[in-house]
Amino acid sequence: MLGHRVLAVWSVLVCAAAYAVTTGVGAAPEPAGQAAPADLAALKAKFRRPDATPFPKANPHSPEKEALGKALFFDPRLSRSGSVSCGTCHNPSLGWTDGLPRAVGFGMATLHRRTPPVRNLAWGAAFQWDGRADSLEAQARMPITAPDEMNMTMDLVVERLKAVAGYGPLFAGAFGGDDPISARNVTAALATYQRTLVSGEAPFDRWIAGDETAIAPDAKSGFALFNGKAGCAACHSGWRFTDDSFHDIGLTASDDRGRGKFAPPSVVAMQNAFKTPSLRDLRMQGPYMHDGQIGSLADVVEHYAKGGEKRPSLSFEMKPLDLSEAERRQLIAFLETLKAEAAPVALPQLP
Amino acid sequence: MAPILLRSALLACLIAVAAPAAAEEFEIPIHHTEVLDTGVKPKLGDTLAFVNHADIAHNLYLTYEDGTVETLDTQPPRTTKRTTLKHAGHVIVRCWIHPIIRMEFDVAAN
Repeated sequence: MLGHRVLAVWSVLVCAAAYAVTTGVGAAPEPAGQAAPADLAALKAKFRRPDATPFPKANPHSPEKEALGKALFFDPRLSRSGSVSCGTCHNPSLGWTDGLPRAVGFGMATLHRRTPPVRNLAWGAAFQWDGRADSLEAQARMPITAPDEMNMTMDLVVERLKAVAGYGPLFAGAFGGDDPISARNVTAALATYQRTLVSGEAPFDRWIAGDETAIAPDAKSGFALFNGKAGCAACHSGWRFTDDSFHDIGLTASDDRGRGKFAPPSVVAMQNAFKTPSLRDLRMQGPYMHDGQIGSLADVVEHYAKGGEKRPSLSFEMKPLDLSEAERRQLIAFLETLKAEAAPVALPQLP
Repeated sequence: MAPILLRSALLACLIAVAAPAAAEEFEIPIHHTEVLDTGVKPKLGDTLAFVNHADIAHNLYLTYEDGTVETLDTQPPRTTKRTTLKHAGHVIVRCWIHPIIRMEFDVAAN
């Protein structure tokens, strides 16, 4: 009987603790942690997945355009060497990236930056690590024509595609017209295909949708920290866990000034500033940051806890944090819940 | 005597009509990553005061219709940045840090 009472008291305590973790009752002073259930519901709503994928009016979706875009994405003939496709670096088997600290470009040269995954870009506001493209259509031609990447000209791309008999019907089906194989249509099709690459449903999404068992208490505490004390959600906000903002987060600097190359010199905050990456479907084994300079998530958390290197361009949001070992584990446990089961990708048969 | 008075009154009226309207200041709040469009209809020489109510910093810039770009300094939370409008026409306000921020309005000529 005493055993039952102890068990009952223990059960109540465990339930109360779990409730406190998700609602923050008795928690450290952190906005999400102190939230009442209604506030927590409002907070969770900010991370709810959208129902549909947006496509711009200027480049609407069609199944034919998506299929053409997929063929082009995996076609190495878009590179000068004829051996590198978009999918070579944005490899679906490696989470639409290459798993390397820094990308390998034309002539096997190591580039300055890590290959970013290409999921959830339909909702993007700026593209490339430095944001120099303001649409996926504009972005699509950049790696193709960059001398140190695929090293092509769009004229040569068009010439090559026109020489492949099977592409004519695909372009005609997607765009119509008398001469549909054009640079503009190549980038439109690539952008359309990329917009269809959307993260699958992760345990976090099931929790947001109301399944309290979908993620563990540690991850719920991590969510509270993420939105509260740790301040991650200041930039990693919304269902994609990024607001596409640009910050110098105080990493070891190099010659690569990031967005500072395009902003006026007076905009000091853009020196060493790179785009806030999405945290969905992180490769838990790393590497991380725009140049792969951090190898593990534990070290990423440590970097933020230290607050980054102090310099004039350091983001205003970068402040040293006092995070316990348990809190660090909780943050990582939360990030793990953002990972969906990878959907199989069937490679296209190229014309 | 009466004609002089009449002429003076007429002159005063003409000056009042010809003189540009006094410059005004419009307050534009920023909440997180949104510059609230308050429907401002400013004119040349008016001042915009961007008030950052967010907990994050911003770095706004204005692009005038003629391509002139005016960048405001980094704006920490709970600070205000002011700028006097220098060109008539369409203006786009954006943020170097947050490209999702965008606000547009027209500046009337005096």
